[in-house]
Amino acid sequence: MNITFPHLGNTYIAAKVLFDALDVEYTIPPISTKKTLEIGCLHSPDDICLPFKIMIGNYIESIEKGADTVLITGSCGPCRFGEYCELQKKVLMSLGRQINFIVIDEPSKIGIKEFLNRLSSVAKDSRLSIYKKIKALNMALKAINLIDEIEKECRFFAGYEKNKGEFSKLLKDVKREAIESKGAEGTLKVLENYKDKVDRIEIDNFKTPIKIGIIGEIYTIIDSLSNLYIEDILMNLGVSTKRTLYPSWWVKNTALSALKINRSPIYKEAKHYLGMCIGGHAQECVGEAMLNYKMRFDGLIQIFPVGCMPEIVSKAILPDIEKRYNIPILSLVVDEMTGEAGYYTRIEAFLDLIEGRKRMCI
Amino acid sequence: MYLGIDVGSVSTDIVVLDEDLKLVHKLYLRTKGRPIKVIQEGLLILSEFFKDGDIKAVGTTGSGRYLAKVLVGGDIAKNEITSHAVAAVNLDKEVRTIIEIGGQDSKIITIENGVVTDFAMNTVCAAGTGSFLDRQAERLEIPIEKFGEYALKSQNPVRIAGRCAVFAESDMIHKQQLGYDVSDIIAGLCSALARNFISNVAKGKNIKPKVFFQGGVAANIGMKRAFEELLDMEVFVPEHYDVMGAIGAAILAKEQVVLNKKTSFRGFGIHNTLIMPNTFKCNGCSNMCEVVELKEGEFKIGYFGDKCGRWSRVAV
Repeated sequence: MNITFPHLGNTYIAAKVLFDALDVEYTIPPISTKKTLEIGCLHSPDDICLPFKIMIGNYIESIEKGADTVLITGSCGPCRFGEYCELQKKVLMSLGRQINFIVIDEPSKIGIKEFLNRLSSVAKDSRLSIYKKIKALNMALKAINLIDEIEKECRFFAGYEKNKGEFSKLLKDVKREAIESKGAEGTLKVLENYKDKVDRIEIDNFKTPIKIGIIGEIYTIIDSLSNLYIEDILMNLGVSTKRTLYPSWWVKNTALSALKINRSPIYKEAKHYLGMCIGGHAQECVGEAMLNYKMRFDGLIQIFPVGCMPEIVSKAILPDIEKRYNIPILSLVVDEMTGEAGYYTRIEAFLDLIEGRKRMCI
Repeated sequence: MYLGIDVGSVSTDIVVLDEDLKLVHKLYLRTKGRPIKVIQEGLLILSEFFKDGDIKAVGTTGSGRYLAKVLVGGDIAKNEITSHAVAAVNLDKEVRTIIEIGGQDSKIITIENGVVTDFAMNTVCAAGTGSFLDRQAERLEIPIEKFGEYALKSQNPVRIAGRCAVFAESDMIHKQQLGYDVSDIIAGLCSALARNFISNVAKGKNIKPKVFFQGGVAANIGMKRAFEELLDMEVFVPEHYDVMGAIGAAILAKEQVVLNKKTSFRGFGIHNTLIMPNTFKCNGCSNMCEVVELKEGEFKIGYFGDKCGRWSRVAV
């Protein structure tokens, strides 16, 4: 069994740690590029959302490198993501690929027994003791928390850095070194090392950079190919960005929801507008918008793929938040046809708008 | 004096403003897919009127702003939205809404107290923009400059389906085969495009007077009238509507050069040098940006197109 998985931000680093520690065969899909997207578009239904297409591209590129099992998370609806695994299985089958899917659904949906069953099938080739398997899982959790934490700090403090480009360089370096390092322990050591380094980068507390919250559909805001590298661009323009939806957030949120002890303020904030889950992360988008407003952010950028039902609902809610709380919000819709020029023009104009408001003290 | 260059999809506009930001000279050239050549041509024309030392700052805008900035040694490259707003506010403090329709883009900008408060841009469709009108004028063999006059002649405009460029064209042909008058069809097209703009680009935007209409399409008085009828308010077309972006860029350059202390303008002399663009993939990280390198002979004059600034920040 050779396991692969679709890319989602930094999860590949955690996956490397997990599979190295479990000592099972795995293939990390090549980093998503335009070519990945092209392959994905070629084999996906035309109207499906962008994440589906990139994921298919990831699978095919991995299969070419020898993978035969796909590990993904499910959601059992209500948005289209709930049907991803079944549709993707069909797409790959129609291409003549016999691929196993291990779908990690939420324990609350499939029962704790089935959940553990599926989880253990990931490590069925591993000859380690159950204790060591749990330890491996723990190491992976530690890795995802570390790398996400590093990225979060880099993105937020980029606006405050004394020497331009330091955070951006560090973020590139840590990702490269983490994936090149040997073994699970090696990767964790790199991450811990860089966690210290981030804290040592000099920052200028007197700076007042533009602060922007990135909200919207979880995949498109995490995956930089689909959002045309928006965070890198903002970082380069000296803008501080904050995004809550990281893979590590998802893990924690899902685990807490399963145990019914989730007290995240996001849901409390969203309640006025959206009291229930309508699929995807619409509630989180609205809740985050409110939280970012309360944290005195200068503006919000919402990103979602064409045809994303939950985000269309939140997009309809955001203008009210924009007016009532006087915080500018820019909605960007992405798919494989998104033209770079217009996209970047809108982002730049949005930053000018915020700067103008700051100057006038609005 | 201050130089402003707006490299758009259809036209490249170059303006020269004096100390009081009054327009001294303007050029409206067709880009024709060769922005480098057209900028060089423009500088050649200007070199007859001005010397290198006259230019205190250069600003660039439009979709080719980064290319133009590297090529001429610009002090600032600003997006079209901000540039248009700056130019309009500089002209008239009362302006609250700007409708800007260019070759491929259409935008709405709302302004309060001289500050942009909201904007929107066409995302998926270019149905209502200049290049579509250009194409229709060509098909009907009417010079584009006369398009507006034809529209005004119409007594009963026909209704054209203006949601999509392809369908609009089919519908125009259908109406023409039914025997409608050309001026009625053109007037119908103008109001269809205005309707499309208001219901798509300007959806949910608070349109308040005074309304400015700028960009190349503002030359078409048929479009102006269609907007006036639809919005039920007067629409103003500024005198230099076609080069407002370039004017804005020049104004912004004047502000920027105060911070930069010195302009990086490379002089009018570049009009007769051979400029070669060269693209390559940067392998610095997984983003694999396509970076453009501009070379003047063997000499590298600059880079753009990277996301992290690794190349564009390099001072050559």
